[in-house]
Amino acid sequence: MANGQNVEAAVAVPATRVAVRGSWAAREGVQGFLWIGPAFLYLAFFIAYPFIMSIYLSLSNARVGSTEYHFVGLQNYQRLFADPTFWQTVRNSFVFTFGSEIIRLLIGLPLAFSLNRTFKGKRVVQGLILIPFVIPIALSSLAWKWMFDSLYSVINWMLMRVGLIDYPWQWLGEPGLAMWSVIIMNVWRGFPFSAVILLAALTAVPQEIIEAAKIDGAGPLRRFHYVVVPMIRPILFVGLLYSIVFSFTDFSSVWLLTQGGPYNTTHVFGTYAYNIGINAGDIGQGAAITLFIFPFLAAIVIVMLRFLRRE
Amino acid sequence: MVIERAWKKWVFFYIPLTLFIIGTLFPFYWMVITAIRPDAELYRSWRAVNNTPFWTLHPTFEHFRDLFAKTTFPYWLWNTFFIAVISTAISLFCGLLAGYALARLKFPLAGMLGTSIFVTYLVPPTLLFIPLADIIRNFQLGNTPWALILTYPTFLIPFCTWLLMGYFKTIPKELEECARIDGATRFGAMARIIFPIAVPGILSAGIFAFTLSWNEFIYALVFLSSPERKTVPVGVVSEMIRGDIYFWGQLMAGALLGSVPVALVYSFFVEYYVTGLTGSVKG
Repeated sequence: MANGQNVEAAVAVPATRVAVRGSWAAREGVQGFLWIGPAFLYLAFFIAYPFIMSIYLSLSNARVGSTEYHFVGLQNYQRLFADPTFWQTVRNSFVFTFGSEIIRLLIGLPLAFSLNRTFKGKRVVQGLILIPFVIPIALSSLAWKWMFDSLYSVINWMLMRVGLIDYPWQWLGEPGLAMWSVIIMNVWRGFPFSAVILLAALTAVPQEIIEAAKIDGAGPLRRFHYVVVPMIRPILFVGLLYSIVFSFTDFSSVWLLTQGGPYNTTHVFGTYAYNIGINAGDIGQGAAITLFIFPFLAAIVIVMLRFLRRE
Repeated sequence: MVIERAWKKWVFFYIPLTLFIIGTLFPFYWMVITAIRPDAELYRSWRAVNNTPFWTLHPTFEHFRDLFAKTTFPYWLWNTFFIAVISTAISLFCGLLAGYALARLKFPLAGMLGTSIFVTYLVPPTLLFIPLADIIRNFQLGNTPWALILTYPTFLIPFCTWLLMGYFKTIPKELEECARIDGATRFGAMARIIFPIAVPGILSAGIFAFTLSWNEFIYALVFLSSPERKTVPVGVVSEMIRGDIYFWGQLMAGALLGSVPVALVYSFFVEYYVTGLTGSVKG
C-alpha cells in the first residue's frame, strides 16, 4: 500500500536518473502507460463510464422496455425524499452495517486471539472457519432461509427443546426479528474474513515484543492496548473499512432471506434499488437510489487514502 | 511461554473452539441432511413421534435425481465454470501488467493511476448494476455469457492488480536487472525471470478471483434470463422456487452440488486462498 511513496518516487527519481540514461527513462515512462493501459481502459469503460451514466439515468425518466428517455431534472430525487420507504431503507442500511460490524468484531477478535498460538490441527481449524466465506452466499442463504422457515425451523426446534423460547418464532416474518435474522447471517458469513485478517495481523506481531512487555510487568489488557493494537492497527483499520463497504452495499443475502420484507423493515440500498429499478422497471428512480451509496463510499475512500498516506 | 494447566486449556480453548466450529458448519450439515431426507420426513411436525430431526434413517437420492431430471443444472455448472475461468484469465492478464507497472516502472501519473485503480476496488456491484444493465442491453449482450465475462473483471482487475503489485514488490529488483544487463528486454526479463517467481502470487490471485466469480450473484441475476443460460447461484434460486413453493430437498441438493466445486478448489489451495484474502487488504 505504498501509493504515497509511489507519488514521491515518481516525482523525485527522474531528476537524477534522466541525466545518466535519458532515453531509458523516457522509454520507461512510455512503457508504464502501455503496461497499465489494459487495466486502466477496462476499468474506465466498465466502471467510470457506467458510473457517469447512472448519474445521467438518475436525472431521466428511463424505464425498462422503452428505448427513449429524456432529462427530467431532479424529479427522481424529489420523489425519493418524499418516499418514507426510502428513509426506512437508509436507516436499515446503517443498522444492518454497524450491527453486523460490531458483532463481527466481538466474535472475530477473541477468535483470532485464541487461534494465534500453535496447537494441533490449527490449519484444519483455520480452513474450516473460512468455509462460510468461500461458499456462494446465494447458496448458503438458502440454507439459512430453510433454517429460519416459519414451520420447520430447526433453530426454533432447538431453542424450544432447550427451553429458551416457548413458542416458534417467526424469524423472517416479524419486523424487528427479521433484521436480526439478516444480521445473524451476515455475521456468520463475514466473521471468517475478520478473524483471518486479524490473525494475519497478529501473526506478524513478533512474540519477543510481547514477551518483553510481559517481563516489564504489563498485564494482558495493557499489552493488548499498548503493544498489540498499535502494531495491528493498519490492517485492522483497512479490514474494517472493507467489511463495512461489503455490508453496506450488500444485496444477495438480504434479497434471498427477506426480499426487504416484512413491511420493508429489512430493505437496504441494494434490495430497494433492485425492486424499483429492475422489478418495477423504473431505471431512473433505481439509479437515484444506488447513487445514495456514493457519498458514504466516497467518505470511506477518503478516510482510507488519508490513513494509508500517513502510515 | 507461560505453562497452562490442562483443564484450563480445555475450558477456555478447546471446548469454546469446538462449539464455535460446530456453529459455523451447522448450516452446511443442515444442507446435507435436508438434501438426503425424503419429503415425507421433511415436512413433518417436530413434535411427531419417532422423529429424528438431526439425522435420517431413510437417506434418499431422489432430490438429486429430480435436480438433474427437472432442471438444467448441468448447464448451470458449465456456465458458471466457463464464465469464471475466462473472466479470471482476463483479470489476471490486466492485473499482471498493471501490477508490474505500478510496482516497478517509474512513469508520470503512476501514483494517480495506482490510486484510481485502488479506488475502483471499493466500487461495489450494487452501485453499477443498473447502468451496466443498460449498457449490456445497448450492446445486445443481454442473456449471453459475455454479459458476465465482461462485467466480472470490474471487481476482479482491481483486486488482482493490488495483490500482484504487493507481490512484485517483494521480488528483489536485482534479479531483473541482471537479466537486463545480460541483454533481455523488459518483457523478456518479466516473462522469464519475474513470472516464474511470481507463480504463487498469480495462483493466489487466480484462485481468489475464480471463487469470487463463481459466487457472484447480482449481475448474473440481472443480466441473464433464460433458464439454461444461468449460473449455479442464480439458477438454483430462481428456477427451483416456483411461485411461493420451495422444494427444499431439491434446493438443498442444488446448493450442495453448487458449493462443492468451490469447496474443492478451496481445499486444495487453502494457503493460496488465505494469502489472496489477506493480500487483498494488506497490499
